Amino acid sequence: METRSTQLLKGTLDMCLLATLAQRPCYGYELVQQLAQRGLDLVSEGSIYPLLSRLQQHGYIEGYLVASRDGPPRKYYRLLPAGAKQLERWQAEWDAFAQAVARILKGARVDAHR
Amino acid sequence: MTHTGEQQTQQQIADLVRACAGYWELRGVAREHLTEMQLELEQHLQQAVSDGKPLEAVLGPHPTAFAEAWAREMRPCVLRGGARVLQGLVYALSVVSSSALLSQLLAHAPAFTFTLFTAYVLAGSGLLALLLQLGGFLAPRISTRAGREALLLAAIVLAVLLLRLAGVTVNWSTALLSWGWPVTIVLFALAAVLFSLDSWRTFHRARASLAFPGFPALRAVTAFVASVGVFDLLLFAGGVAVADFCRLALRLI
Repeated sequence: METRSTQLLKGTLDMCLLATLAQRPCYGYELVQQLAQRGLDLVSEGSIYPLLSRLQQHGYIEGYLVASRDGPPRKYYRLLPAGAKQLERWQAEWDAFAQAVARILKGARVDAHR
Repeated sequence: MTHTGEQQTQQQIADLVRACAGYWELRGVAREHLTEMQLELEQHLQQAVSDGKPLEAVLGPHPTAFAEAWAREMRPCVLRGGARVLQGLVYALSVVSSSALLSQLLAHAPAFTFTLFTAYVLAGSGLLALLLQLGGFLAPRISTRAGREALLLAAIVLAVLLLRLAGVTVNWSTALLSWGWPVTIVLFALAAVLFSLDSWRTFHRARASLAFPGFPALRAVTAFVASVGVFDLLLFAGGVAVADFCRLALRLI
């Protein structure tokens, strides 16, 4: 059974991927590492790929191959202007949502203490 | 990790990537995306394993669900998936037409008979090849390829036993179709044209792909012709063996 944090992550992973790519272009494994460093551990790391493909189809990010000396080329992703705008909208939406949830939880704590 | 353990893990990764690629191809994901997806998945799995993570950490408990989730986002097209099936049909047509040509040439026979045995071997081989490829999805649970093949073999034997217990009997030499020289030549020419078209299409797509720039055309044609030849030989040998076995069984009865 999925935990609450897994469910929450599912709904916000695309936003987190855009936010991570807003800092610098990354390849898939790097994105997972960046998320883990910030405290988001994915149940299955591969779940980022369908989302990256979706973001790419929407024109929010683009993928490009970078030649490697050691082996085959590696696919990197970078944020596009449309993605930056979408990230701003999602951030505003998330802030409003998180504040509303925080207010409700804070109210519940106050009621419990009475 | 020991050398054998490392080899086994590399085998698991290769089989998993192969299974995903086969699934995506059948789902109709465009070839130019397919090569990049394979590349990304393989590199991710390699890096995860070198960081000490299990394969499940990347693909989750159900690799098929992962493959399907990614395929859905790649705008799959049923027609493209059909092209993969068409390749299999071209191969089957090549085997049948070359088999007819050879047997009519060697035996100076005016007609070729397409038996139930030939149809069974062709359909069974196609299905087996598909199952062996998709069997890679079991790689995280059954780590060795031999283990996965043994499971598949056990499933086939069980299915045959169940059919036998249900009283199903088959006359393998039943003639399904019979045709003469003109049809054999038309079929052979059709197989050659379809194979040439498919090779030309693959060659042009490989040239346009950045990830896999090389397509050894001559090697691909040689491998195809050799594979059809070996299949014809096995089909002929198998047919003789089955006929001898049936004769022997009749004598014993």
